Amino acid sequence: MSVTQNMSDNKQEKRHFTPEEWSYLTKYFVGNNYRYRENIIIPKNLGPVQIKTNEEKMVESFFESCFFKSVMSCVVGYGLGAAIGLFSSSMGPASVTDTETQTARQVFREMKTTTLGYAKNFALIGALFSGVECAIESARGKSDWKNGTYAGAVTGGLIGLRAGVKAGIVGAMGFAAFSTAIDYYMRSRF
Amino acid sequence: MSQKEAQNMQLIQELEIEMMADMYNRLTAACHKKCIPPVYNDAEIAKGEAVCIDRCVAKFLDIHERIGKKLGQLSMQDEALLKK
Repeated sequence: MSVTQNMSDNKQEKRHFTPEEWSYLTKYFVGNNYRYRENIIIPKNLGPVQIKTNEEKMVESFFESCFFKSVMSCVVGYGLGAAIGLFSSSMGPASVTDTETQTARQVFREMKTTTLGYAKNFALIGALFSGVECAIESARGKSDWKNGTYAGAVTGGLIGLRAGVKAGIVGAMGFAAFSTAIDYYMRSRF
Repeated sequence: MSQKEAQNMQLIQELEIEMMADMYNRLTAACHKKCIPPVYNDAEIAKGEAVCIDRCVAKFLDIHERIGKKLGQLSMQDEALLKK
């Protein structure tokens, strides 16, 4: 270590610090972490060093925030729900009409309402699940499989609560199991 | 006199570099052990891990400052006692 080498090299010219100077140095080194430093040395042996600018950090923090994630899930859920609604509305007429044939316009209108209904439901589920999962992960500080389970329980509970407490509990357990299964499948694939 | 001051300044700079390097190593080791699980299959830092690392670094630096100041106080008290 260079300090002890210097000390043994210059035995004649020892550097003297008074105790008051030592205590001042201790406070200088340990105390203020926010003072202005001219040269910041980051060790390069683990890889290239890139210090990010403040704007880049802000942009990154926005694109990784819980709000953006839930908005993205909402949009993707809307699209997925529209696709599924379109497909399921083509299975058969949603409303029972007495007249035997419907005009094409009525069929299309029913398709549109079914599609939009599915899309809104899926968007709500997606946004809720993603937001709750991100919030739970931020609060816990860990990234493991339990985040998906807890978020699924909360989402299923909130959605099932529309139809009563029992439906809420069943929905919570079901959605949590579904979310855990999907997470397990995704992790085992990649 | 200025040579002695220059040597003092060099000692101070060496001490600071050594102290910063030591603190950086301890900090990375402690927060890595605390926040990142040993088995993972994704190279990107997940949100929970990033939050954990932020909190770990803040706490580490805070504790470092407080204990350092306390240690300085104790060593000053010891010096005062020795002088008597």
